[in-house]
Amino acid sequence: MLRTEEMLLNVGPQHPSTHGVFRLVITIDGETITEAKPVVGYLHRGTEKLAEDLTYTQIVPYTDRMDYLSAMTNNYIVVHAAETLMEVELPERAEFLRVIVMELNRIASHLVWFGTYLLDIGAMSPFLLAFREREQILDLFNDLCGARLTYNYMRIGGVKWDVPEGWLDQVRAFISNMREKLKEYEDLVAGNEIFLNRTRGIGVYSADEAIDYGLSGVNLRAAGVDWDLRRDRPYSVYDRFEFDVPVGKNGDLYDKFTCRMEEIRQSLRIVEQAVDQFPEGPVMAKVPRVIRVPEGEAYVQMESPRGELGCYLVSRGKDKPYRLKFRRPSFYNLQILPRLLKGENVANLVAILGGIDIVLGEVDA
Amino acid sequence: MQAWMWLGPVIMLFVVLGFVTLAILFERKVIGWMQSRIGPNRVGPWGLFQTVADVLKLLLKEDIVPQKADETLFKLAPVIAFVPAFAVVAVLPFTDSLVFADIGVGLLYFIAISSITTIGILAGGWASNNKYALIGAMRSAAQMISYEIPLVMALVGVIMAAGTLNLSGIVEAQKEMWFIVPQFIGFVVFFIASLAELNRTPFDLPEAESELVAGYHVEYSGFRFAFFMLAEYVYVFAMSALTTVLFLGGWNPLFGFTFLPPLIWFLLKFSLIVFTLIWIRATLPRIRVDQLMQLGWKVLLPLALFNIFLSALLKEIPGIGSYY
Amino acid sequence: MLGLLKGMGVTLKNMTKKKVTYKYPDEPVKMPERFRGIQHFDPEKCIVCNQCARVCPTDCITLTGRKHPDPNKRGKIIDTYDINFEICILCDLCTEVCPTEAIVMTRNFELAAYSRDELFKDMEWLHDNNTKIRGGSQ
Repeated sequence: MLRTEEMLLNVGPQHPSTHGVFRLVITIDGETITEAKPVVGYLHRGTEKLAEDLTYTQIVPYTDRMDYLSAMTNNYIVVHAAETLMEVELPERAEFLRVIVMELNRIASHLVWFGTYLLDIGAMSPFLLAFREREQILDLFNDLCGARLTYNYMRIGGVKWDVPEGWLDQVRAFISNMREKLKEYEDLVAGNEIFLNRTRGIGVYSADEAIDYGLSGVNLRAAGVDWDLRRDRPYSVYDRFEFDVPVGKNGDLYDKFTCRMEEIRQSLRIVEQAVDQFPEGPVMAKVPRVIRVPEGEAYVQMESPRGELGCYLVSRGKDKPYRLKFRRPSFYNLQILPRLLKGENVANLVAILGGIDIVLGEVDA
Repeated sequence: MQAWMWLGPVIMLFVVLGFVTLAILFERKVIGWMQSRIGPNRVGPWGLFQTVADVLKLLLKEDIVPQKADETLFKLAPVIAFVPAFAVVAVLPFTDSLVFADIGVGLLYFIAISSITTIGILAGGWASNNKYALIGAMRSAAQMISYEIPLVMALVGVIMAAGTLNLSGIVEAQKEMWFIVPQFIGFVVFFIASLAELNRTPFDLPEAESELVAGYHVEYSGFRFAFFMLAEYVYVFAMSALTTVLFLGGWNPLFGFTFLPPLIWFLLKFSLIVFTLIWIRATLPRIRVDQLMQLGWKVLLPLALFNIFLSALLKEIPGIGSYY
Repeated sequence: MLGLLKGMGVTLKNMTKKKVTYKYPDEPVKMPERFRGIQHFDPEKCIVCNQCARVCPTDCITLTGRKHPDPNKRGKIIDTYDINFEICILCDLCTEVCPTEAIVMTRNFELAAYSRDELFKDMEWLHDNNTKIRGGSQ
């Protein structure tokens, strides 16, 4: 017998495919992973603790920096928590605007996933093509709220800006353009045999396992659990729109890919309906200048591009929260990684990690 | 004669270096266009001096040898990788008169010498004493060995048809019909295997940026790194030229368009191959290491063997037999 | 095999399409009206109410004021006004609360500097940063 030895390999925190400062300590036998230990916390900024010392208005820009690929949903969860406790009646136009920007943000986030994921498994062009389309969304956001990533758009009681002139027409133009481009992506990738071989049957887990590990979002739906908070626990005005929830079968990487691509399509549908039914009216409710949230506790949840984003708010009636806790989907979804990586090839490591779709800003908060 | 003996290779070296400079620029430009970008455009008109600037930068960089590395081997590895890459250029016939070494076993020489580079890569990866480099080097060795076999097997059909191992002789044999038509299976197998030999996408596993950071040359910097890069692109030059010679009829004109000189014909076909390589790189994702082995041993090798059989069989059929 | 070829077709088609990149340093990027760039500060409008400093989530604004030199007038005038752009996140909250629009956003965004000290901008600098002001003319 040849004497073989296991090797300890440090993947990250500086590594091109860990999508940020994520570290994985893996033990490999040849090219097979026998053990994987994720190490997180390199980007920890203590958002939750900082929030205890900030007024509600001031927290919103901090949430922009958690899941920096979908800052709109992060904005929403914190204002939604405060509004729930305050029992603010929101103007319809504000709700519609929120839904439009959140869904556009979901598309942008999934586009980044699509691009970086293909980059992880070695294809270069999809990355730049996806960013080309994402750029249009960022331009729309730039027109709307003056920033491309850190929007700081939502306020307790509504949104900061009404739509600029011609903005809705630009959104409509984007929708039709995006639908075309989705076909192009699918031509480029979905039929590609190398891509199929690298994703089909890789990183499989069952529906029960997904639930046991507390997965949410696409990671949960790819395994066949039909659960989408937008439909099952509607918040904002989601109950007024028609959309399907794509569900996978095997929980492999290919299912995740098809689910996310289909979600882009469904988000386009929601945005289209929202733009068509866009109501008139103010975009801010009447709220006091200094916001004091009445004493109480509330947990609100929503479907962010990465899964169930939750916010647990404890208020003592001050202008600052007593405790703010975010349920950050990336962090919870990452739990299944050691189980998925065990026994896999090193080449599958980046594919599986990429498939989970983590944002390190959110994992470490 | 004596002067030519010395000057020829020197001129050739500069031609090859010029090609590498242009090829890298062209690759970046084409990939840029395919990704809705412009590509390099800052250094010189149309970005022409971009690669020159890059090489100058590499020359100015600090030469780092890791403390735990095997110093002799670490320094030797880029040389071992580069020298064979340039040595194979000697046998390539560009036209019937422009050829440096018209040796009888030219094809065999090319294949044999080119596999030495693997040793350089393996040595470099091992000597760096870096885990990523080691994995990259091992992958490279496994890949090169598995793909050398279908590569050679795919060429047997061509050799049978031409009846010679001399590269000029092979081109002469394609006066009537380029080998890409009768030897199509051979061409496909050869092309895929040559992609793997070149370590280019979708077979760029030894350097697999997103997995192994940079593979075997993780620890290399400055001019040593440049040598690995150079070897890679000189092989692109040599492999494209070889493909042109073996399957696309070398300098033979298409449709009897003899008004273009043979060298231009050669360059046209050669550029087409280089463009295809770049185009593939812009499109395809990377294949996985175990699938790579399966493709090599379970698909390409049987196909190549089948091609030999088929060629031998068709050679006996009157009428079309003359093409085989 | 067909899937591979289809993908190759897509990249080839994109090769001739219009390029979407900006020629940024050569041609400035035009930012929209609402863009949140570096603030412009107008000392004459400032009433030293301190609201901007209080609302700032990162505490990057420091200001001091003194009594109005004209004893007949009430209120204060601004003495120093500094923004530390090392930590300013351009969140727009200071301009939102300012009652007199003494501090407003501009569409300028180029802040790169060789030293961190240069990012500490004082009242004079902020006042001179008076191009492309939001709500003003171009």
